[in-house]
Amino acid sequence: MGQATCDTTAEPSLERLLEHPAIWRGRSVARTATLSTGCTRLDDALPGGGWPAAGLTEILTARSGLGELRLLVPLLARLGAQPPPRWAVWVSPPFEPYAPALIAAGVPLERQLVVRTAEPAWVIEQSLDSGGAALVLAWLAPGVATSVTVLRRLQLATQRSGAPAFLFRPLTEASRTSPAELRLVFEPHVTGGRVQLLKSRGGERKPLELRWQEFSLQGNALQEHALQEHDDVAS
Amino acid sequence: MSPRERASSVTRAFRAPRQGTSAQISSRNASTPRALTSGGPPDPPLPLESLFDAAPEAWVALHVRSTSTNDIAVAPTIASSESAAALAHLAEIAGGFTSRVSLEPPDAVLLEVRGSFRLFGGAQRLCRQLLDRCGAAGYALHWSLAPTPLAAIVLARAGQGAIVLARDRLVGLLAPLPLALLRWPDDALERLDSVGVRTLGAALRLPRAGFARRFGPKLLLTLDQLTGAAPELRRPVARRERFRAQVEPAFELQTVALVLQHLEPLLDELERFLRVRQSGIDWLKLRLQHRSHPPTRLDLRLATAELQASHFAELLSLQLSRITLPAPVLRCELRSGVLQAFVAQSESVWRPGEHGGGAGRESPALIERLRARLGSDAVYGLCLVPEHRPERAFGIAEPSAAPPRSTAQTWWTARRPLWLLREPEVLIDAPQGLQLLEGPERIETGWWDGREVARDYYVARDGSGAEIWVYRERLPPHAWYLHGVFG
Repeated sequence: MGQATCDTTAEPSLERLLEHPAIWRGRSVARTATLSTGCTRLDDALPGGGWPAAGLTEILTARSGLGELRLLVPLLARLGAQPPPRWAVWVSPPFEPYAPALIAAGVPLERQLVVRTAEPAWVIEQSLDSGGAALVLAWLAPGVATSVTVLRRLQLATQRSGAPAFLFRPLTEASRTSPAELRLVFEPHVTGGRVQLLKSRGGERKPLELRWQEFSLQGNALQEHALQEHDDVAS
Repeated sequence: MSPRERASSVTRAFRAPRQGTSAQISSRNASTPRALTSGGPPDPPLPLESLFDAAPEAWVALHVRSTSTNDIAVAPTIASSESAAALAHLAEIAGGFTSRVSLEPPDAVLLEVRGSFRLFGGAQRLCRQLLDRCGAAGYALHWSLAPTPLAAIVLARAGQGAIVLARDRLVGLLAPLPLALLRWPDDALERLDSVGVRTLGAALRLPRAGFARRFGPKLLLTLDQLTGAAPELRRPVARRERFRAQVEPAFELQTVALVLQHLEPLLDELERFLRVRQSGIDWLKLRLQHRSHPPTRLDLRLATAELQASHFAELLSLQLSRITLPAPVLRCELRSGVLQAFVAQSESVWRPGEHGGGAGRESPALIERLRARLGSDAVYGLCLVPEHRPERAFGIAEPSAAPPRSTAQTWWTARRPLWLLREPEVLIDAPQGLQLLEGPERIETGWWDGREVARDYYVARDGSGAEIWVYRERLPPHAWYLHGVFG
């Protein structure tokens, strides 16, 4: 019996020891705070189980509008509903963010702030440092040279402020180095998209094929829930 | 302090005030109607009699010394715009001490300060601060504090810097003063003079009924108001609702940094102006005048009402850094927007987002900073417009912390794309390269305002696999357009 108790206590204590942030084992994922993507399979593939909660994420696409924004819509909806009201800052979006679609996806419009600028890096850093931004989405124009120094500065700003920033960049940047915490390539696929991690602290490197149906849109879920309750009351 | 001195001070403190006696203001009893000495030791506690008998009101009169002449009779005729401006400025300063300020044209300002004693640490300190403030603004003043407005004015006109809190002591002080200080009509004064009534004390001793019969009830009422036997209602001064100030430096300002340096005192003045009114502004205009060029104008719009000079200075410097001065600046002019109620909020020790600080709220400061540098059009929020035409179903809104509206107002049934193109793009070889997934959704409306649309919308997949939103014109030549991207 003594043997048995020894075994059962040894395992949790060893687990606890390995929980120590200073201990990092190869193949294990970095223990960083993450935000769920809203898609279980994407969560599993990403290190820590989601988007970095305080870090720079680069999403590389061949061109804008291939579906990469849809990866973030559940996050936009969830962060927008969280209590202290904070902005979701859209820096130099390539087209007009379309309000009806955002509303339908459960994204609160009154929390969205669009900034059109020729100095995206400055706006990103200001937004993060103000503490008033829940997340920053930024599109860096292909022509704008973005040095490693600038990206490093933005990565540090996200860590300082504890808010995530997402950079949408052209695929041609894939070969360049970047200090971003997470880099992935997105390309459209039948009724969904294919995600390939370029750089991550742990996590799967195999391409992952996702279907849009897998993304649970919280706004829609809430609406359905409300409808059901309404039906219950009526009956 | 010797025992004898102490005894004398005690008897002075408890001396029963007698009404109607003539009292001389001398250095001997200077402690009760105390002369104000600037830079002296801190206030001694008020004498006991003042604590017991203090009148419910305490009026301070500020009497502007006429620089040209001391003749009182001339004073009303020089009621120029200059003196009116001086009084308005004095009322402005007085507004920092009390909310009850009243003008006594042409040369005096009255303020009721009884309620402000505790805040300023007593009557003496309040008066000292008030006079320091007026002195700093360049005014040479006679002043006085008395329980009634008229007595305060009369004492101030007499040039006696006296603080009288108890009404009982008032008559004693007023009695020796000449009657002319009341500025009664000349014929009344002459008739009183002819019967030997030359001081206020003598006038107060006259039989009331006879006085009223000879000189009218109006003058009797004045006497009653002087001693506080009858109330005097004073009209409070109406305050300016906007701020406007300008600075014209001695030399032309070549750089933005110099302009900012010269704006600093104006901004400090603006902050004082706003603090007195407990309001803030969300709109500030700056005009820089040049010699030959048209003036440079800057509009500063803030997300919430603000009053801090440093805040304005920071935003102005951000805005000024965006422009280049076309020519040296001759004159800077600041104008504020409408005043708004301002409620100060305590700030947290940590800045939001800083280490140890919690997540902040959506902050107006962010929007102000972005707008100051990028221009106000570059930063906007989104809103929904109840409209069937897709390009008009959304709008640009002022970013605000408005409570979320119900999302149940979705009137469309088909899917909408996340991105909308600003202008629909013509698809030349459509629909050959497209795989139509959903549709058509017919939108045909807007015939009443000349922007009629008649379109069939489809969700399609293009060659690269991206989902797009296209439409086909229902009217010939039935062209296909790309309108949105499901990005």
